[in-house]
Amino acid sequence: MTVTDDADRPAYDELPSESPLGAPLDWAWLRGAKSEWGIHPKPSPRGLTMLDIAVGTYGDIPEHPPRRSMAPRGADVDDDVVDMGYILNSKTDVWAENTRELYEEAVARQWSATRDIPWGELQELPDDVEHAVCQLCTLLTEVEMIAADLPAKWMWRMNHDFIEAKMFLCTQIMDEARHAEVFRKRALANGGGLLLSRGGPTSLLRTIIEAKTYTQASALLHLLGEGFVLDIFRMGELIAPTDVEKRIFRMCMQDEARHVAYGTMHLRYAVENDPDVAEEIHAALDHGEQVLIDFGTAPDVSTALALLLAGGAEHVEDKGFPLALELTKKQFTSYLARCERAGISRLERTTVPLDLLGIDPEQVRGAAPVAQGAQS
Amino acid sequence: MSPAIDTVAFFDALSDEMNASTERLRIVGDADMTAVVVMHRPGGDLRVRLVFEGLICAGVAEVGAEEAGHADFALVGDLADWQGMFDDIVANGRATGLWTINSLALLGDRISCQGDDPMGLDKFSRFNQTLQEFFDGAARIAVAA
Repeated sequence: MTVTDDADRPAYDELPSESPLGAPLDWAWLRGAKSEWGIHPKPSPRGLTMLDIAVGTYGDIPEHPPRRSMAPRGADVDDDVVDMGYILNSKTDVWAENTRELYEEAVARQWSATRDIPWGELQELPDDVEHAVCQLCTLLTEVEMIAADLPAKWMWRMNHDFIEAKMFLCTQIMDEARHAEVFRKRALANGGGLLLSRGGPTSLLRTIIEAKTYTQASALLHLLGEGFVLDIFRMGELIAPTDVEKRIFRMCMQDEARHVAYGTMHLRYAVENDPDVAEEIHAALDHGEQVLIDFGTAPDVSTALALLLAGGAEHVEDKGFPLALELTKKQFTSYLARCERAGISRLERTTVPLDLLGIDPEQVRGAAPVAQGAQS
Repeated sequence: MSPAIDTVAFFDALSDEMNASTERLRIVGDADMTAVVVMHRPGGDLRVRLVFEGLICAGVAEVGAEEAGHADFALVGDLADWQGMFDDIVANGRATGLWTINSLALLGDRISCQGDDPMGLDKFSRFNQTLQEFFDGAARIAVAA
């Protein structure tokens, strides 16, 4: 490491020791410090990314940071910096190998619910379809903000040396604000409005927000909750009555997939480096899966989805519910495959009725070879 | 006239079109993924690897089955279904209805999204609109041809 306290450097002895108003001045930072110096990160073709500057010791993430201050990682830090009371002080608590990449991706792929949705193309819809869209938007406006509140609850407790993880979670909060915005706007934009909000979703949301540890919370939110919502957004192609709603779902889908990618790789990192945490995650998912099933089968949610899948009330039974069952199968299959990838196989432990859903455990195992190593 | 869709030349043309329109791609943002398009056809499958970096398609190459397995995901379908998708794009200027790549992969009965790694498969969702923009370029190269 090259440091700035080089004896050959100018001493700057002529600088004043007091300000014009008589306040004492400290030029220590100019005379040299132990910070790394002389590093010249090379911008990649798209600009200077967080991956580009993760060079030398600045790129090293400590397993257990020595301080609990807001001092930037890599700075020359005084011993008497303020303790911020962080409780997430191990890298395994928050880290994922794809954190920096996902942050850059999030920044590069931001969009505007005001500008990038063709609101002017909204069309008058049949009464039943408009009601179903509004019911689904009511639900999504409600549940999306949990993915903002949850990281906000934990971020101020994360050690500042894990700044890239905190930065990524900031983008997640912005994403979720936009999702709440876009679904609220859609509910109100076409002559409909917000419809029913009932107890089911609230129970799921409380389960997530009240998780005892951040890693449990991440399992419940990123892997379970957002994984399921991601599949609903993918389903948007089938449930959206017009190109306006399709555009909304596609844009939200991209954001949601990033959050799931962070959660999956965070859990993997946690389990690989602290195997004891696996049981903690399983315990959270044991409960979370049941609550999610209650949520997914709640009368308001399942009926709105089935009606949209059927294209209207007329074909709910012969088309809507069978399609909904197929998509539920896809949701659980994706979730179980992500669990395998995260290194927390649920196949032997889940109480989800795999037989009833027609899910083949061997197919799930085959879809997630653990040997591939971490990649984003 | 644009090249037949089951040729590397066709995907090269899509790549050129995308790379000449990076301003349009800026709205959806940077993407980093490797996808393989697999077309089942008489006489043997065509497998074309597409490498996306930032706002451009940085590589198009015909690959074998083993190399195709290293991609983040593969989009697999019969030539006739791929033709149907591109015909819809050319007719409408972009994919419509159930001919979007997301719709096709979601239903999976004509073109499916396949892969060994859920993280790779999730890239299909993360960068979906970049991929759609790439395929939608077929409308512009048809007009230009």
